[in-house]
Amino acid sequence: MTRSEHSARAASNPVAGMATVVVVQLAGAVFLRQFLLIEDWRLVIGLLLIFGAALVLMERVPSLEARVEAAFARHSRLALLLGMAIVLGFPFVLEGNTYALHLCVISMLYAVLALALNFQLGSANIPNFATGASYGIGAYASALLALNFGVSFWVALPVAAVVATIFGFLLGIPSMRTRDSYLALVTIAFGVVIHQLLNNLEFTGGPNGLVGIPVPELFGHSFGDPLVIFGQELPSQANFYYLSALLVLISIVFARRLHDSRVGLAWNALRTDELAARCQGINVTWYKVLAFAVDAFLAGFAGTIYAFYVGFISPDNFTFLVSVTIMTMVIAGGMDNILGVIVGAFLLTLLPEKLRAFSDYRILFFGVTVIAFLMIRPQGLFPQRLRRYGD
Amino acid sequence: MSELFFQQILNWITLGSVYALIAVGFSLLFGVLNIIHFSHGDVSLLAPFLALTVISTLGSMLGDLNSLSVFVLALLVAIAITGLIGVLLDLVVIQRFRKAPAMMALVATVALGIVLRELIRHLFPNGSNPHAFPRLVEGDVMVGSLSVPLFSLVVIAVSVLVVCALFFMLNSTRLGLHIKAVSQDRDAARLMAINPGRIFRATFFVASAIGAVGGLFFSSYAGMARFDFSIDVGLIGFSAAVVGGLGSMPGAIIGSLLIAGLDTFVQAVVPNGASYRLVFVFLLVIGVLVFRPAGLMGRTLVEKV
Repeated sequence: MTRSEHSARAASNPVAGMATVVVVQLAGAVFLRQFLLIEDWRLVIGLLLIFGAALVLMERVPSLEARVEAAFARHSRLALLLGMAIVLGFPFVLEGNTYALHLCVISMLYAVLALALNFQLGSANIPNFATGASYGIGAYASALLALNFGVSFWVALPVAAVVATIFGFLLGIPSMRTRDSYLALVTIAFGVVIHQLLNNLEFTGGPNGLVGIPVPELFGHSFGDPLVIFGQELPSQANFYYLSALLVLISIVFARRLHDSRVGLAWNALRTDELAARCQGINVTWYKVLAFAVDAFLAGFAGTIYAFYVGFISPDNFTFLVSVTIMTMVIAGGMDNILGVIVGAFLLTLLPEKLRAFSDYRILFFGVTVIAFLMIRPQGLFPQRLRRYGD
Repeated sequence: MSELFFQQILNWITLGSVYALIAVGFSLLFGVLNIIHFSHGDVSLLAPFLALTVISTLGSMLGDLNSLSVFVLALLVAIAITGLIGVLLDLVVIQRFRKAPAMMALVATVALGIVLRELIRHLFPNGSNPHAFPRLVEGDVMVGSLSVPLFSLVVIAVSVLVVCALFFMLNSTRLGLHIKAVSQDRDAARLMAINPGRIFRATFFVASAIGAVGGLFFSSYAGMARFDFSIDVGLIGFSAAVVGGLGSMPGAIIGSLLIAGLDTFVQAVVPNGASYRLVFVFLLVIGVLVFRPAGLMGRTLVEKV
């Protein structure tokens, strides 16, 4: 049966379609909640097996996958509203577990970083090993503004993003003439230079980093205080939970619009064949530099939120390994698939935290994951979808 | 003053030789495979740990021996094993990426380097801590009024010998000509009854073994073996190869001397230079790539339609 027939069937039966959307989204939310709350590593492995089985089922039974996809396409508004409701309500079902909430915040920040890198690695196949550096530039820029000039979080946020973007442009300049391995070296070199400068300069606090970054406030409500909604008291992490959820939402909208636009198409053309893209009149250089700037822009945002959330940053939060971690998320999740990248970010942030018994092997695990995915499943867990305009 | 200056020059050439041993491996592998073997630095720096393992096993097996001969034997064994590990990595991982986009091989070998480092950390006893690594030779030689450490002389002499042997091998032996043929055109080489797979393995062995010499010298120079040495050394070796122009052997040597020169100069002249040295080195790398994207000695490939 073809996909259009399926969509036709789903369309003819709106109730079934809606039910599919609701069931899938709720199942995802329940899964994430259980994953966050369980402690025993054997149960974590069990949940992972369930997740893997679901993926295999989707892969083996394409009609099921097509049905889910058609349902989401048909009831996209319902999916969006329900998704928002789930995200808004999620902190209430975590039983006030601050650690679980903290993990959510960190996962979402990594999701933003992975989405940022996805523009380059996924869409345009530019190996950028400097996302961690852009993240650090955002964090340091906003923290320095807040500490030295008393600038509020809400002003520091866009300013830091702009600063990171400027550095992204600078990093993009060598990409006009270099590519592949050479370009990768430039980005690695950039990351190392930034890290060493942060580590040695006087005003960045050296290896000790910056301490005592003030807690943001909004309408007189300090983000350090517990959040009270409808008489329900949520731990203070909930403030940052909603803030980073908003950032993830913005990033998704951003990523979707770019993916479906001429820019996204141009990046994909670049990835497939740079020479052919050039022949089609695509300004290859400009799109490459743009990919660097977009990456740095989003990473700057994430960095700012991280700095104000944790209140303390040091150069070691922004090393080469952070960049490699983000890269692992994109590769494992699925290049150029927004859902995949986000799932990758959550999985790879939560797994090492949940499998604490093996925490010493975390970096080894990331390395093996990258190699395994590149060898066995280079398209990632969720491969790129064909663009579907107009439905 | 002149003595200090002479010391710095000697430092520069010693360090340059060590970097060159690693950089030629990058360049050789790139020339033949057309992909970056990013974990080459990590492979090279396995050698000191292998040597330490061999020394301790030999010591426990044979009891007390003439220490120098055991040491040299251990180094040779470490070099051979490192070469074989290079071949093994090719067979298990890198081989799969022959036809994939260059980016995939690059990311995979970056990850492979991380895996190698972590394996040392976890498998070697007390792998996270630095381990003392002996100097190859102690003592000084008097040249006129200047005292020259024998170690530097040995490093420079061995490096020159190894590089000369590599050039001889590439230019005048059957294997070398086969390597060159495969690097120029893999399919044409196959038509000339050259088995590219065999050549790839041979190249991996040669490059990794030369890298191992560099790795042993580096640990000996630093006086210790650390699992995370390979981050800096691998990056610098790769940078040297890129600055010189990937695929060009003389380029790799020039690049190494250039980077080692800047490194030594910064440490000697700039206040607090030791902590900033990588900043200068990598700014040089970025600068060279901006103005000469194919490196100093590399051929610029112009793609036009």
